[in-house]
Amino acid sequence: MSHVVIDLKASLKTFWRDKSTIFWTLAFPTILILLFGAIFSQSSMRYDLYVQNQDLTDGKATYWSDSLITVLNSTNAFNIHMVDASVNGTDYALANRLSSMLIVPSGFNTSANIALYTHGAVTANVTFVYDQSTSSAPVVQSIVMSIIDKLNFELSKGVEYFSIQDLTIAPKRFGFIDFFIPGVIGMTAMTTSIFTSVSISARFKQNGIFHKLATTPLKRYEWILSRTIYNVLISYLGMAVMMLMGMAIFGMKMTLDAVSLLMVAMASLMFTGLGMIIARFVKDPDGADAAANVVTFPMMFLSGTFFQLSQMPQFLQTIAQVLPLTYVSEGLRAAMIFGQAQQAILNTALITALGIASIIVGSLITKWEED
Amino acid sequence: MRHYEGISLGNSIAIEVQELTKRYGELIAVNGISFTVNRGEIFAFLGPNGAGKTTTVEILECLRRPTSGKAYVLGFDITKHQPEIKKRTGVLPQDFYTYERLTVKETIQYYAGMFDSRPDVDELIRLVDLEDKKNVLFRNLSGGLKQRLGIAVALVNDPELVFLDEPSSGLDPKARHGVWHLIDGLHKKGKTVFLTTHYMEEAEILADRVGIIHNGRIVALDSPERLISEHGKRNLLILKKTSPKAVPNIEKLGIKANYDKTTSDVTVHLNHAVAVSEILHTLSNTDIPFGELQLKRSSLEDVFLNLTGVSLGEEESGI
Repeated sequence: MSHVVIDLKASLKTFWRDKSTIFWTLAFPTILILLFGAIFSQSSMRYDLYVQNQDLTDGKATYWSDSLITVLNSTNAFNIHMVDASVNGTDYALANRLSSMLIVPSGFNTSANIALYTHGAVTANVTFVYDQSTSSAPVVQSIVMSIIDKLNFELSKGVEYFSIQDLTIAPKRFGFIDFFIPGVIGMTAMTTSIFTSVSISARFKQNGIFHKLATTPLKRYEWILSRTIYNVLISYLGMAVMMLMGMAIFGMKMTLDAVSLLMVAMASLMFTGLGMIIARFVKDPDGADAAANVVTFPMMFLSGTFFQLSQMPQFLQTIAQVLPLTYVSEGLRAAMIFGQAQQAILNTALITALGIASIIVGSLITKWEED
Repeated sequence: MRHYEGISLGNSIAIEVQELTKRYGELIAVNGISFTVNRGEIFAFLGPNGAGKTTTVEILECLRRPTSGKAYVLGFDITKHQPEIKKRTGVLPQDFYTYERLTVKETIQYYAGMFDSRPDVDELIRLVDLEDKKNVLFRNLSGGLKQRLGIAVALVNDPELVFLDEPSSGLDPKARHGVWHLIDGLHKKGKTVFLTTHYMEEAEILADRVGIIHNGRIVALDSPERLISEHGKRNLLILKKTSPKAVPNIEKLGIKANYDKTTSDVTVHLNHAVAVSEILHTLSNTDIPFGELQLKRSSLEDVFLNLTGVSLGEEESGI
């Protein structure tokens, strides 16, 4: 064990003395968060809007509920997805991690008629269920509100016949940045672990450091253990820096529990193993960096780090389902934002299994010297 | 005295190699070589790149497994007692490299930790003359200083036997002489040194015994002096700017001389029967003048050329 500590101390010393590594591990994700945090909500596009119409007569939409949905559809701002009226709307939105959903309640048509008859003595309400930690929810909400305002103006020249009630499915203290930061924490664990493993293995092989280490009593497994602990520690460091920055600059409040800590550790383990597997097949440090980029870049953009998976085309969403980083990001969000312990534990268990498998394969195929 | 697998090595033998062979597919890198290295001596493995030197030394360092044959290092079988061998040996690999951002002192401490040993780090730094560089990062050291640090690292466990693989390769003459001085110092401290080199001068100056390896086989093994004496050309005497009349006068002494018309030089291949003084005496008696006298010693380069038909510089295949 003392060999592991000695190698770990040496690795950490070299980390502090390597400015480019510090930049890519700490400064780069920080810049990414600042940039995305500042500009993300300004994007414009067609948004998904889930609509549940509970105001039915003999299974058919009532006049006013149908009119409202038709108006929403005619704006071309939304891809409208109808939700079965028999399910609990809020539960459905939570279970399916929807960013926004409009519920037209039963009796909406009657309330609308009374509102018209009494010239606004009562109003017909719809409920807007949303997850305000997502970037799209505030935008969708404002579009829906402006449509209802326009409808009121057309019908009554300003008297409120229709109104909208907000119902958030994420605790109020969270915002987009809270969605984003767990994703970047997962991404940093991936890039740190893969690049360190691939690059160190290739460089140690080329420079003969493995050769020298092989002549000492240091065992291969001791070195691998040291590198894995190093990657976990650096990932924790990145996590701490990002969380502190999120709290200091964006005023976020983040839940940090054992599951999220275990998830980051297991993600580091998994990506360290993956890095070792990649390193086995590259011949030089330049090739190592290229190979690491080939693996990390698609995962970075397709695993829901920067964008919600629901905003991506269906085929990319399918690809995302087989990328391990997706489960890391989703698991961290479940633990740190939504408080969904079951999903967080499930994802962590999956990543732990993958981590153990990849580190075993990586360790078995890593050689210091060709026989 | 240690006894393993029926082999008993006396205290005087550090390495014993018997019919060692290493194949890579069709390629035979080391082809049935046998030799012994005595304790306390500097043994040089001399040969061009690709001759099989590094493969042999890496087998002895327990980094590669032999295809066949036996080898014992400090009495331990290299295929069965690797931890014992590693604890007792020091290794300077070819082009020593380590963590770039550790200082000289930290590097020595790091490797000492790997051996669970507590050497006097400052003493090691003094030994390799790196006192004023002890807080300099490895990446900022010159090639010669890196090799010197590599030698210090090879000594952190106070080894009985030190393997030095091409210790001065790629260094400038000044740095090379610095490394030679260090190796000589190890010898004086009683360490056994196994050295591989393709510099014949290095082997000739440092080694007590030299094994010449070519195409995976040992073609000669003895002290440098005896190798030169047995396999080298005779020493050469060159009389510059002299008269062709010198040739018949010298040949009267029973040795052959050649006159070069373009340079007006006479060359004489010396043998033990005739001393240089006799030749000079003859020329003096016959009033034959000459401008300058040069004496060229035969070297291991000549030995290698004589034994293999090629010069060391011509062979650069690389295994």
